[in-house]
Amino acid sequence: MVSKIPSLAALIPLFLLLASTVADSDLAAELLALQSRSESGVIHLDDRAVSRFLTSPKTPRPYSLLIFFDAEHLHDKAELRLTTLKNEFALVSSSFIANNQHNPTVRSKLFFCDIEFKESQSTFGLFGVKSLPHIRLVGPDLKSPKDSDQMDQADLSRLAESMAAFVESKTKLSVGPIARPPLVSKMQFIFMVAVLLICTPFIIRRILAGDTLLHDKKVWLFGAVFVYFFSVGGTMHNIIRNMPMFLPDRNDPSRLIFFYQGSGMQLGAEGFAVGCLYTVVGLLLALVTHALVRVRNRSVQRFIMIIALFISFWAVKKVVYLDNWKTGYRVHAFWPSSWN
Amino acid sequence: MGEKPNQANPNSASAIAAAPAGSKSSDLLSRHFSIRSLKLKTKEQELLLRVTVLCLVYVLAFITRLFSVLRYESMIHEFDPYFNYRTTLFLTEKGFYEFWNWFDSESWYPLGRIIGGTLYPGLMVTAALIYWTLKVLRFAVHIREVCVLTAPFFASNTTLVAYFFGKEIWDSGAGLVAAALIAICPGYISRSVAGSYDNEGVAIFALLFTFYLFVKAVNTGSLAWSLASAFGYFYMVSAWGGYVFIINLIPLYVLVLLITGRYSMRLYVAYNCMYILGMLLAMQIRFVGFQHVQSGEHMAAMGVFFLLQVFYFLDWVKHQLNDTKLFQAFLRITVTSAVVVGTVALGVGTASGYISPWTGRFYSLLDPTYAKDHIPIIASVSEHQPTAWSSFMFDFQILLFLFPAGLYFCFKRLTDATIFIVMYGLTSMYFAGVMVRLILVATPAVCLISAIAVSATIKNLTQVLRAKPKIVHSGFSKGGSSAKTSSKGSLDQSQPFGKNGAIALLFGAFYLLSKYATHCTWVTSEAYSSPSIVLAARGAHGNRVIFDDYREAYFWLRQNTPPDAKVMSWWDYGYQITAMGNRTVIVDNNTWNNTHIATVGRAMSSYEDEAYEIMVSLDVGYVLVVFGGVTGYSSDDINKFLWMVRIGGGVFPVIKEPDYLVNGDYRVDKGAAPKMLNCLMYKLSYYRFGELTTEYGKPPGYDRARGVEIGNKDIKLEYLEEAFTTSNWIVRIYKVKPPKNRW
Repeated sequence: MVSKIPSLAALIPLFLLLASTVADSDLAAELLALQSRSESGVIHLDDRAVSRFLTSPKTPRPYSLLIFFDAEHLHDKAELRLTTLKNEFALVSSSFIANNQHNPTVRSKLFFCDIEFKESQSTFGLFGVKSLPHIRLVGPDLKSPKDSDQMDQADLSRLAESMAAFVESKTKLSVGPIARPPLVSKMQFIFMVAVLLICTPFIIRRILAGDTLLHDKKVWLFGAVFVYFFSVGGTMHNIIRNMPMFLPDRNDPSRLIFFYQGSGMQLGAEGFAVGCLYTVVGLLLALVTHALVRVRNRSVQRFIMIIALFISFWAVKKVVYLDNWKTGYRVHAFWPSSWN
Repeated sequence: MGEKPNQANPNSASAIAAAPAGSKSSDLLSRHFSIRSLKLKTKEQELLLRVTVLCLVYVLAFITRLFSVLRYESMIHEFDPYFNYRTTLFLTEKGFYEFWNWFDSESWYPLGRIIGGTLYPGLMVTAALIYWTLKVLRFAVHIREVCVLTAPFFASNTTLVAYFFGKEIWDSGAGLVAAALIAICPGYISRSVAGSYDNEGVAIFALLFTFYLFVKAVNTGSLAWSLASAFGYFYMVSAWGGYVFIINLIPLYVLVLLITGRYSMRLYVAYNCMYILGMLLAMQIRFVGFQHVQSGEHMAAMGVFFLLQVFYFLDWVKHQLNDTKLFQAFLRITVTSAVVVGTVALGVGTASGYISPWTGRFYSLLDPTYAKDHIPIIASVSEHQPTAWSSFMFDFQILLFLFPAGLYFCFKRLTDATIFIVMYGLTSMYFAGVMVRLILVATPAVCLISAIAVSATIKNLTQVLRAKPKIVHSGFSKGGSSAKTSSKGSLDQSQPFGKNGAIALLFGAFYLLSKYATHCTWVTSEAYSSPSIVLAARGAHGNRVIFDDYREAYFWLRQNTPPDAKVMSWWDYGYQITAMGNRTVIVDNNTWNNTHIATVGRAMSSYEDEAYEIMVSLDVGYVLVVFGGVTGYSSDDINKFLWMVRIGGGVFPVIKEPDYLVNGDYRVDKGAAPKMLNCLMYKLSYYRFGELTTEYGKPPGYDRARGVEIGNKDIKLEYLEEAFTTSNWIVRIYKVKPPKNRW
């Protein structure tokens, strides 16, 4: 879909050469034609196309436009989630088209468009867009683009589903269920089932012979330590809550926050750091009891032993300190009151 | 004993030699004898020590849970326990059959609730039995005291089970350490302090007991032990919905044993007996009913049961055939047909609706992101939140470091029992990561595995200390590696520091364990002993201020409202209102009917006139809201309000979350959304609040819980009137005005 956009953009001036007094229905037909050229049905607009389809026609226009403001040079900023949102936007578009396949009047009522910042800066000015991600819905009766409805953060929170809900509530058009492409395509699925079926007899034979990875104690041990690491580091929390690895500091954007103060919340890097500290202590014990005893040289043994003890001590201290800092609790012992 | 000169005492040679001397000396001797004979043999000494330690641990587990009684008073805590208390009271007053057939019309008005068929009766029956026993023994106690102390009592019993379990999987030393660790582990204490009269209090005991009996059954292959474990399972099913964990973990364990080639006759006997009898017994609990054969969550157990039969059958055929080629062909056919038949049966059962699909809670454990998107009523409960690392640290502290070490020791000495504890530990650890409340289930496993680490390490260290210089060879490790090092013949190679190192390490272990004890005591006393129905805060001079507003409000309801009045509140307070206020509620903490809860959510988030229609249709007489703006109590209804909107909006699409938010922010000050400022919940919470100065130097109407000045100070109520506000404004009760005359 992305590769087609430049060619589309080149085509638009061609349309503009046509007489400007085209009937409204022709404009809708043009948009439909443009739409059919893009795989997801998202129309790429530039400044001239905006003036042709949006600002020049008299209100009420026969259609609404939902415009996604994009800036390619910001795609690598992860916190803006531009690429994700753009894909979701395309998904809403394709679902809308697919669900209204047999209803051309509805289809020509709403068009999904995107605008690139570098090509169409004046449109960004026209809409007064200062920050991204930004999605606007321009209704049929709207005169000034600045008054158009903006999709706010809450409407983006659940991605395509909430975008569709926004569209449905504002335009009274039904988007219908979002058709997400399945994780594995049908062919891949059939292939996987076939491979599984072929493998099954071999696996069963090896299980019966007692000769698989599953019979290797070490595999189980590493699996066990991994599950432990995974759980106590709070990784599940990060997956469920979609926590980022770190946050930029609000006061000083060049600094990064790795540790979040306050219980019940944590960042990704924090969990991994603490999980490692936990695991290190256990692994050191394994090292000392399992590998160290085979070392012949006594002074090397002593040296490694001291290091191991020191690291374990440090790790425990560090985690306890971090926990106290994070939760703000001051743990202390209770002595008989007569001792004070 | 002292009179017998021939006693088999190794030191009695001198006594015998002195016997012919005069009578005076024999008197002296007899005293000498009595002291000598009191000296026990090493075995007996060890037994005495063990029993003493166990008794102390038993008492410790009980008294550490009494902080809540000392700091507050002997009362039932939180929300669910009030329902349990109410039903227990009913059980002791009316008897078992009345209880079993009880239709409660005081909750879920106008629907009502069939109590006997929708609860796990284990806890109530246990408490009632204790109460009746005490009565027979002529102890005059109130049933409330029994309920308050049930959880600590069972926690003490759990320590005993932990001891026997530890003994079964490792040795008696590990058992003792496990008992001591679990007695004070905060992860367990959080649900079993005195007053926390909830299912988990007895269920953890039942859970561990069932596991212990099952492991014992697998180890011995005896029918008696498997029968006992079936009964343990029955008790667990009667006590807590968490029995689903058992009925999935045990089949998983059996499956792992099968895959790793550890199938044995002992396993066959233990599992079959436990599964069949346990299933039949569990069907006697009405709330569970035929789920064991009908619900998808229990199908794993049944599948493994049939798989075991196939295994046994194959074994038998192999024994009969004595021909490998023939057997291989037979094997292939049997396995394929068994798998095909099983799959077809499962498919047909699911398609025809005979086997119900998984419930939302179960599904959200396997795919943790499921609940967040699909079931707001599960996602809204604070104890269903995913766990951050600090919660693990808070609940386990030093045990977390010992856990991997314990895993390592278990893998060094793999037996059927250690495989079980490793699997129990890892699965429960994973589930604990998904939901905060499941830390509770993981606690016994973590304690046991850590106990193995502590016990094995300390045992090795003390062996080094006590060993005579010549045979210093055992390092800290057990098993293979120490045998290898000793076979090398070098004397003091395996122990880098010999005795000094061992002493240092022992001190280190002692230091860690004492830190653990300190941490646990502090956490129990400061964090886990709050009843949350009476709130405590520190005053300006460091003194304790008690807010008893909840009980004040509930007693007001009991005294001042008509007995048939219906009270509407958010579902959190339903159980307390019925138990303490003795009034009918619309929704309560048993969240079985989402639509009904959504209706209340809708009323709370609508404008007053729309809400009035809903309230009239539900016969509501009074509305109760919890408000923390004066005291700074943060878990009040305004902070829970977004969940009301979400749950309400999930059923009634007229309620939309964005209407209550401003640019995605939830605000109550001047910049708040207009719908927010005029919805029923806002009005009821902040009515007359604009006139009140809460903090020096702040304008009137300053909300201390959220730290802002409220946006709508001039609130007029049209269809409701203020009936009662407690002394600290925490609970506010409004009366719904009767409909106006139409003439």
